[in-house]
Amino acid sequence: MSDVVIIGAGIHPFGRFDKSAEEIGSFAARAALQDAGVAWADVQASYLSRMYLPATSGARILRRLGGTDMPIVDVEAACASGGAALHQALLAIRSGECEVVMVLGAEKMPRGFMDPRMIYADWQIEMGMSLNPAYWSMRAMRHMYEFGTTELQIAKIAHKNHNNSVHNPNAMYQKAFSLEEILNSPLVCDPIRRLEICAPDDGAAAVVVASADFARRIGARKPIRIAACVHTIARYSADFRCPADSMSATAHNDGPTEVTAAKAYERAGLGASDVNCFEVQDTDAFCELEIYEELQLCPLGEGGRLIDEGVTEIGGKHPVNMSGGLISKGEPVGASHLGQVVELVAQLRGEAGPRQVEGAKVGLGHVLGAGGNCAVTILQR
Amino acid sequence: MSGRRPVRDGLLVGNLETGEAVGLAGARCRACGEATLGRNLLCPNCGSEDVEPLALSAKGKVWTYTVVRYPPPGDYKGADPFRPFALGLVELPDGLRVLAPLACAPEEVRIGMDVVFQPRVRPDGVVQFEYALASEGTAQ
Repeated sequence: MSDVVIIGAGIHPFGRFDKSAEEIGSFAARAALQDAGVAWADVQASYLSRMYLPATSGARILRRLGGTDMPIVDVEAACASGGAALHQALLAIRSGECEVVMVLGAEKMPRGFMDPRMIYADWQIEMGMSLNPAYWSMRAMRHMYEFGTTELQIAKIAHKNHNNSVHNPNAMYQKAFSLEEILNSPLVCDPIRRLEICAPDDGAAAVVVASADFARRIGARKPIRIAACVHTIARYSADFRCPADSMSATAHNDGPTEVTAAKAYERAGLGASDVNCFEVQDTDAFCELEIYEELQLCPLGEGGRLIDEGVTEIGGKHPVNMSGGLISKGEPVGASHLGQVVELVAQLRGEAGPRQVEGAKVGLGHVLGAGGNCAVTILQR
Repeated sequence: MSGRRPVRDGLLVGNLETGEAVGLAGARCRACGEATLGRNLLCPNCGSEDVEPLALSAKGKVWTYTVVRYPPPGDYKGADPFRPFALGLVELPDGLRVLAPLACAPEEVRIGMDVVFQPRVRPDGVVQFEYALASEGTAQ
């Protein structure tokens, strides 16, 4: 099977803007084309990753780049939408149908908690069970009870990500906070606090994906290989981050991150220890701690130790969320995974400036959300 | 008094008008053995149609919980004005965990605590449910 590579990446900053989805989306798409040195007319298919934007947003945004008769398809898989869209590009190229594909993620979201009707039933909303952070917090509470994980360890993850964001001009918040400030910020759902949680916002990010042959023909600058791109849905009762009617107390299925990462590692022929840098779903700081365990960076229950030892800081053995993570970038749902991919491409090209992980060769992006949707992308230079 | 209805069809058993023997409806799969909340015609674990109704146990234990400190978005029908409340994932002896508000002061809740089902009748006649701390007399 011939390789599929990323030959161009572009991003519109994440934040809140008085601009349309068409404006921010076409900005990121144009930036990716320019970076790739490819004309819009050379692109043979496009996928838009989005959750909150209306129908046919892909066509609405991308027709700004000029008239086209290519297929443009909107893809939705909640927080994993970007992984699902990138996976479609991979299939299109591997099938031989296309040589060059645009994958764009774009979103515009209102402030505050996400509209619950998107993912909850009416009775759950009426009974007060429609606050996404409540689910993340219940996982955190259980982890603290079983493994002795502390509120300080959770705060340390937010502290690390806010620190990293200072060097990311594309993040919504580019501000460091002390541990005291984080631990004194208001509780949203115990034990998770305001400065440990991500906010929905606007943003766009895009990559131009091509066959390795095409990249060679045009002499692409620093192509980055897609070693794996896997999207899955959680098995029965394996993830209570997604609202389920009830959870099993007897079935013990692996969680969606564990399952998706295992498949991605296998397809890439790599293990967690081979990955030099990670961008993961820190919708809240505890979520990142749990992901350390599920991505096999440490055994179950030892996520807290990893942050205590600085393993996941830039300069540590396995840096996580060099970009500042969703905690500081915000989560424009459709754009978040492509934003991770853009960061990893910069890292693997050695162009991440003050956020650069020295000598990074392999990077992993991870997203997880409603419905148990999970995606893992592994990139390699 | 009439017109009481469950917050979701197929979620409750018993007499909603009198409150007699009101509890959670459930289903057990004869193929894989999983118990699930509410009336179910297909097993969400294995897909089997061989599913039988099951009245779920009233008593359970708090498996995990949180305190919701901001008004939930959407058409929330809880206390107005909003008061922070505990939300618990309650493990029932039938082999499942059910999410519900806990009817007690949030600071009283601990993981492992015994709780008991209770219906809550809203002013609009809709019957929803919550769990209360099991007192000495009721816990057996």
